[in-house]
Amino acid sequence: MKETPLELKISRRMQAGVLTLSGFLGDDPRHFHEIIAEDEQTLAQLGKTPEEIAQRMQYFTDLSFDSFEEEISVDDIYRVETDVVRGKLPCPFSHPGGYRKAVTVLTNTNLGITIRWSSLNLHMIQAHHFFEGKGSPFRLEPELLVKVLF
Amino acid sequence: MLNLILKDVTVLTAICGGFALLLVIAQKLFSNYGDFKIDINGKRELTVKGGNSLLNSLGDQQIFIPSACGGRGSCGACKCKITEGGGPLLPTEKPLLSKAELADNIRLACQVKLKSDIRIQIPESIFNIRKFKATIAEIVDYTYDTKGITFQLLEPDTISFKAGQYMQLETKPYPGMKQKVVRAYSISSGPKDEHKLQLIIRLVPEGICTTWVHKHLQLNEEVFLTGPYGDFFLRDTEADIIFVAGGSGKAPIKSILEDMEVKGIPRKATYFFGARTTKDLYLTEYMQHFEQSLADFSYVPVLSHSAPEENWQGKTGFVMPYFKDAIRDPKNTEAYLCGSPGMINAVTKSLIEHGIPADKIYFDSFG
Repeated sequence: MKETPLELKISRRMQAGVLTLSGFLGDDPRHFHEIIAEDEQTLAQLGKTPEEIAQRMQYFTDLSFDSFEEEISVDDIYRVETDVVRGKLPCPFSHPGGYRKAVTVLTNTNLGITIRWSSLNLHMIQAHHFFEGKGSPFRLEPELLVKVLF
Repeated sequence: MLNLILKDVTVLTAICGGFALLLVIAQKLFSNYGDFKIDINGKRELTVKGGNSLLNSLGDQQIFIPSACGGRGSCGACKCKITEGGGPLLPTEKPLLSKAELADNIRLACQVKLKSDIRIQIPESIFNIRKFKATIAEIVDYTYDTKGITFQLLEPDTISFKAGQYMQLETKPYPGMKQKVVRAYSISSGPKDEHKLQLIIRLVPEGICTTWVHKHLQLNEEVFLTGPYGDFFLRDTEADIIFVAGGSGKAPIKSILEDMEVKGIPRKATYFFGARTTKDLYLTEYMQHFEQSLADFSYVPVLSHSAPEENWQGKTGFVMPYFKDAIRDPKNTEAYLCGSPGMINAVTKSLIEHGIPADKIYFDSFG
């Protein structure tokens, strides 16, 4: 597959050791376009859009963000906590700006499942429909997100 | 036949070499912008080669504007006012500048390419910023994820800073990480020892610099730092003080306390340190020694998730409910906070409710 200069730049920025230690692709051999397309298809089959997923994630992050680094309870189902460290990360898609090094950890107590996402995850899902490659430390499976968040 | 192949290869090599030479000449001719002048604050004039970014050109002249991303245009830290020259605002800059900054001709020094003479305004304190070569003198494990790293300065071998300021540490390539990055950490030692400084660094999952520090950095290794940066420091007043920090936010407060001890500052001060469990507490005895050495100081660790088996006898929950006991005259109290934006927001709200003026609340926010 031939890549445009911008796609080449994005692919390079997604590699391990460029923007983050492990990169955004994990051990997934697919091109990022393929990852995005397959995840979009999975979500469509589940009746959700990446924007709806991102909106739900943002809701939990916002609630826990102002809680003095404490775990909060939401709707008697979710336990949510956001940890922030110093600094910002750029978007591998070359979107301008930086994204807080904040990680939200959410447990759905009904299901007993815990997931986590970073501010950059949230941005990449909302703006680029990118859930990261399989094997990436911050990969979020669309099926799991739908199951846990709604 | 062989001669023919050799001849073809020679001709092809000569043509490629010719093109390469042409490219080098063209680059010399067309990307040579010539020399330009940078006027700083109307007081100092530098002559630099054109074509480079303002950030790098100033760095080459030992003037270090803060930058957390190494000039990639992603952190927005390298803001400076440009009163003349600088070219048009780039799309990469706009999201990182507020409306007021745009109106005030603030630009990102890493995105401004020097193609003409330029006039800039930067704080005078930036002239005190230097690049330091140092060796690692000590590595201490404070908790399971937090280390104290002491740097022995080599070149220059002394530093002058205000307690509460921060440095930028440059990583080295390590397995799995080919490039260098630069990250900011508060100085945790007092300014008295001008040959050494300490940083407190917490391991961040997937963090490029913190992984290097925690897993690869060795004693006696040579590293580079720049600084000091920042305007988080103790104001020279007689007001009572409330310090609030959590995690590695302890660093600048430790530096300020050491400075108060050296200078014999007698102000009433209370330090609230928020942590989850006893595993997250560190330097507790050291903090308690300030209760003896300072005139009127209390150290108050507060745990939010202490388990019964920890047998914690101290304060629990959030730090905010304990403020009222520490504030005797809110109008004559200053607060110094270091931690996450959520913590800063919650504590600031509470302090204002207790009557402390918003303009007396100083903070160093992680976000």
